[in-house]
Amino acid sequence: MAGAQGRDDHFRKSLRFCGWTGVVAVVAFIIGGMLLGGMIPPLLAPDDPAEVFVAKISEHLLAIRVGSVFCMISFALFGSFGAGIAAQTRRAELNPCFSYVQLLFTAAGTVVAVLVAFCWALMAFRPDEYDPTLVQFLADFAYFLAVFSVPVFGGWCVVIALPILMAKDGERPFPRWVGYANLWAAVLFAPGQMVLFFKHGPFSWNGVVALWLPFTAFFLWILLMSWAMFDATKDENVPSRFY
Amino acid sequence: MQTPDTMSIATAQAHHSARVPGEAGIWIFIAGDLLAFTLFFVLIALGNGDQPQVFARGRASLDIGLGVANTLLLLTGSWLVAAGVETSRKGAGRAASRYFLAGAACGLGFIANKFIEWSHLIRLGASPQTDDFYMFFFVFTGIHLFHVLLGTVYMLVLSRACSKRPAGPERDRFVECGGLFWHLVDLLWIVLFALLYLI
Repeated sequence: MAGAQGRDDHFRKSLRFCGWTGVVAVVAFIIGGMLLGGMIPPLLAPDDPAEVFVAKISEHLLAIRVGSVFCMISFALFGSFGAGIAAQTRRAELNPCFSYVQLLFTAAGTVVAVLVAFCWALMAFRPDEYDPTLVQFLADFAYFLAVFSVPVFGGWCVVIALPILMAKDGERPFPRWVGYANLWAAVLFAPGQMVLFFKHGPFSWNGVVALWLPFTAFFLWILLMSWAMFDATKDENVPSRFY
Repeated sequence: MQTPDTMSIATAQAHHSARVPGEAGIWIFIAGDLLAFTLFFVLIALGNGDQPQVFARGRASLDIGLGVANTLLLLTGSWLVAAGVETSRKGAGRAASRYFLAGAACGLGFIANKFIEWSHLIRLGASPQTDDFYMFFFVFTGIHLFHVLLGTVYMLVLSRACSKRPAGPERDRFVECGGLFWHLVDLLWIVLFALLYLI
């Protein structure tokens, strides 16, 4: 135990590390998923024939491959990002419950997200040798993992919000408005489940409501929660503060 | 000259009048949800501009009577919930509890009415896949219906909370947030109703 009573620099630094992994995840996704990988804005369209998928991917082969590497880095960091939130939630609990639930959602979300990067990478591995419908399937699978998985990512936000909103004054892991922002994020992810029912228009996996809305909300949510972890560790005299 | 006592009362009053209903955080949720629905409204308007005939045909197939009934149910619900919030603030928990129960009944009525409307349309052969009008109609009224469901559950929780929990600032906050959410759901429906049934 270091220094004066109540101080725990190790915890403070660890939590800030977790917050930073969230920021790095967003930057890596902007490079890998947006600038290089063609995930969003979407290079592909669900109503294209399979041959068009192959043609587009073959044309951007290297960019998609390098983009997939960055996406994999980004998505794997969801683990440490989520564990940081759970650790701060745990500190505010007398006996742990929601922090455990959060860890489960973090783990599930990380696995689902990492599989997105696997599909994206495989799609660009040998598009000319695979059957074209298999390439199409991998793209479908990637987007389904990302946006059809509403209960995983939305549930994660809800189990972050509940311990905040249920706690008494001065015993909250994060400010109350952060709890509400988490509920809002969950609502914004919800239209993602529409992708099963449409192959064109705003509710398909390249559409404004089912793709842009959940993706924008998700990465802004990561930045918000990273900020919340930084804010909780501002005071040097305590391991982390409560609200 | 003001004595310290009258000054502190004046400050307290000023503080009271500047108080945000519910709490600041719920307004983030409300503004955020409004923002998402604004996007939905713009999409309906754009679709309407692109395919006026498809939209006119779809609109003509809707039963405006059912739409009006749902609007009245939500508005009545809003009045009951507002009365419930006011009553709860005054400390009359049991009376407030009944108002919220009645508000929840309006929500259930809305859900039942939507069920009747949707099953009628589906029997006529309409589905989200039929055309862009029905796509927007089913998806956006569906998302709104989910809000009504949440609002109804919230009202049932409030009804219980008002009869069990003691009056005080914490209950006031919980109750006011419920009222705000209900009004949000009502407001969203009025715009959806106008865009899908009337224009």
